[in-house]
Amino acid sequence: MATIGHNNLNAKLVLLGDMGAGKSSLVLRFVKGQFLEFQESTIGAAFFSQTLAVNDATVKFEIWDTAGQERYHSLAPMYYRGAAAAIIVYDITSQDSFTRAKKWVQELQKQGNPNMVMAFAGNKADLEDKRQVTADEARVYAEENGLFFMETSAKTAANVNDIFYEIAKRLPRAQPAQNPAGMVLVDRPAEGSRGAASCCS
Amino acid sequence: MLESELHDLSDDADYAASQQQGSASVMLRSDSAKQSSPHEQDDAEVLFSKDNVAIHPTQFASERISGRLKLIKQGSSLFMTWVPYKGHSSEANLSEKDRSLYTIRAVPFTDIRSIRRHTPALGWQYIIVVLSSGLAYPPLYFYSGGVKEFLATIKQNILLVRSAEDANVFLVNDFQNTLQRTLSSLELPRAVSVACGPSNLSVDEPNSPSFNDNQERTNSGANNLSASVPQFHGRPKHKVNDPRDISIQVLEKFSLVTRFARETTSQLFGENQNNGFSGYERRTRIQPNLDQPKKSTDIAEKVPAENPVIPDPKPLDKLSLVWGKPRQPPLDSPEWTAFLDSEGRVTDSEALRKRIFYGGLEHNLRKEVWGLILGYYAYDSTYAEREFLMSVKKSEYETIKNQWQSISKAQAKRFTKFRERKGLIEKDVVRTDRSLAFYEGDDNPNITVMRDILLTYSFYNFDLGYCQGMSDLLAPILFVMGDESEAFWCFVALLERLGPNFNRDQNGMHSQLFALSKLVELLDCPLHNYFQQHDCLNYFFCFRWVLIQFKREFEFEKTMRLWEVLWTHYPSEHLHLYVCVAILKQYRNKIMGEGMDFDNLLKFINELSGQIDLDASLRDAEALCICAGENGAACIPPGTPPSMPIDDGSFYNQLEDEIL
Repeated sequence: MATIGHNNLNAKLVLLGDMGAGKSSLVLRFVKGQFLEFQESTIGAAFFSQTLAVNDATVKFEIWDTAGQERYHSLAPMYYRGAAAAIIVYDITSQDSFTRAKKWVQELQKQGNPNMVMAFAGNKADLEDKRQVTADEARVYAEENGLFFMETSAKTAANVNDIFYEIAKRLPRAQPAQNPAGMVLVDRPAEGSRGAASCCS
Repeated sequence: MLESELHDLSDDADYAASQQQGSASVMLRSDSAKQSSPHEQDDAEVLFSKDNVAIHPTQFASERISGRLKLIKQGSSLFMTWVPYKGHSSEANLSEKDRSLYTIRAVPFTDIRSIRRHTPALGWQYIIVVLSSGLAYPPLYFYSGGVKEFLATIKQNILLVRSAEDANVFLVNDFQNTLQRTLSSLELPRAVSVACGPSNLSVDEPNSPSFNDNQERTNSGANNLSASVPQFHGRPKHKVNDPRDISIQVLEKFSLVTRFARETTSQLFGENQNNGFSGYERRTRIQPNLDQPKKSTDIAEKVPAENPVIPDPKPLDKLSLVWGKPRQPPLDSPEWTAFLDSEGRVTDSEALRKRIFYGGLEHNLRKEVWGLILGYYAYDSTYAEREFLMSVKKSEYETIKNQWQSISKAQAKRFTKFRERKGLIEKDVVRTDRSLAFYEGDDNPNITVMRDILLTYSFYNFDLGYCQGMSDLLAPILFVMGDESEAFWCFVALLERLGPNFNRDQNGMHSQLFALSKLVELLDCPLHNYFQQHDCLNYFFCFRWVLIQFKREFEFEKTMRLWEVLWTHYPSEHLHLYVCVAILKQYRNKIMGEGMDFDNLLKFINELSGQIDLDASLRDAEALCICAGENGAACIPPGTPPSMPIDDGSFYNQLEDEIL
């Protein structure tokens, strides 16, 4: 669940989708700016966190990256339970992965948090010549199901930060804090420590 | 009274022999006599003496060792001794080394925590003496009765309280020395020196009543100090063996009362890091306190003065912490050949497994030996038989492989399951160990071989099929075996053990993670409580460790080393779970200190990849496994993977023999 500080938000986000769709690659691109051509499969789950600044607030994403194989499906609820957001990832070069993604959407609609922000990501958008799923088809499906849709490429970084940014903007939040100036002062204990340092030198 | 005691013992050939055993002990004893302050002389008085008290090192009646149990009072202190008889007919096999190992030489009751009485419906009454450290002497069987008398004699001399929890447990409560016992339970090396067993006691324990040289009884507090910090002595103490070797031998042979194991292991593994003090610092802090209650003892000042200050506390810490056997160099070709008879049979498979456990294999031997330790080849097969099996299996492999190779494109269109499987495998093989020269580059033929093996396996075991993680298990095997068919069959043998890890219902994983939680509860209760409080008891943060046997946690070479060690199933087929406990223990203070919740714990554990010290973890795991003993085994439900392959005859036959 998203928890709200003054204008800081912590949001649990889970990535779901078929194996090899590029879930880990999306996270690694977003969190570390890296891309590996042969990103190894995720065993169990991986956890990352990354903070985004949205307008005058920050959103700290706590990201759960899961194993994609159907065999590990039974573990998934452990990860999406209580999530404020989900990115359902498919591979635009694989119709099967699109089918699988739709199943994930159904499951989240049934089992997940009803206020969950869901993003639908058609990954590997750089592989246009191998495309099996058209953007239109996916967009129509997304609109029908109240998801927002983007095609992404972890390889080229296209739309990767954008999709997280878009999620951050859509997260339900409290009213902006009336007087943010008060917090700034709290963050500066520097006066005292500087004084201590100078007296030693 | 001392006269009679001297006389008594000089007549006792066993005792004399045991004294000769350790010249070091004599030397130490005279040293401690010099160091100790003059003290009132006390007579040693034998309060209780019982013949035909025996220990049963193994199930075999022929290996039972009989001896004489005594209670000796010297001054206000009470001691217990048990000395095996020499030359008893049933103990023809008893070596001098064993005699020395088992002899209990004057353990003071201040070092004893409790005595447990057992009265089996059939058989002899026996007792188990548990030391303050949590370790215990082997059960002492009273062939001629006398347990009641033994306990009564103790009770007349020191405070012996029946435990409120268990009427058969008698707590030794010597209030006169409460401080000393408290300190001894705090002292890390103390626990180790006791863990080193009676043979070590005889060497290090100047507390023994000095029967031989009429020496004055040394102040017990001072003795405790010198005994508890053996590492501070500059002179070589252990002439016989590496002390850690002895400890393991003793631990192997002695029944360990493991309900105290968790306290001991927390001493051995955890406490030295508490409060940010190293074990060395803690010891030096404790020493002055030890001195306080004593009047004129100068030993504490003398010992550090006589011995150079150890500049780096780290080696000391390691010494005191490490009591799994030191790792050995990997098994090499000449040594391997020595395990084989002229026709290539492994003559002593248990010795081989043990040797591989302690050092692994040189890489060039892996191709030959992995098939054996995985149970693909029988240990008692000859070169020729293995050669024959190899060719038979090769054609069998080709037959299974042909099953999917013969599926035409048109057929595949109507065979969704096949297409799916092939798709899964093809997605994974291209991202398995691609940074390794063996698998790197475009169109690497080894990738194709890996795909073929996995696809063939999914036909060989259609119900299990392919599951993510399998390619991780196959990659090192194919790398080692080189040959496609051989790699396949070794992979099959491995999945005989680990297949349940990939069950759809996750049962295999759940049972292992459950066992892991039980082991942590046994071996590190505070950590267990921490996980409980933070909702981490499902242990999913260890999922990857267990599923693919730490494949992602170590670099490739280290993974191969770890696997061959685990595959020996020595000293436990579930050693991998103890490795988990060992690693968690290494980082327990960080985990608890930083208050990690499940998310951060999983992140932390995943990021340990590449940072875990394999040898240290294996040593710790071995020690934990031995320490947990039967209670550890009881934490692991029957059928928890990896189960032994059924046709691996040698190991099972042996077990059956032992049960008989």
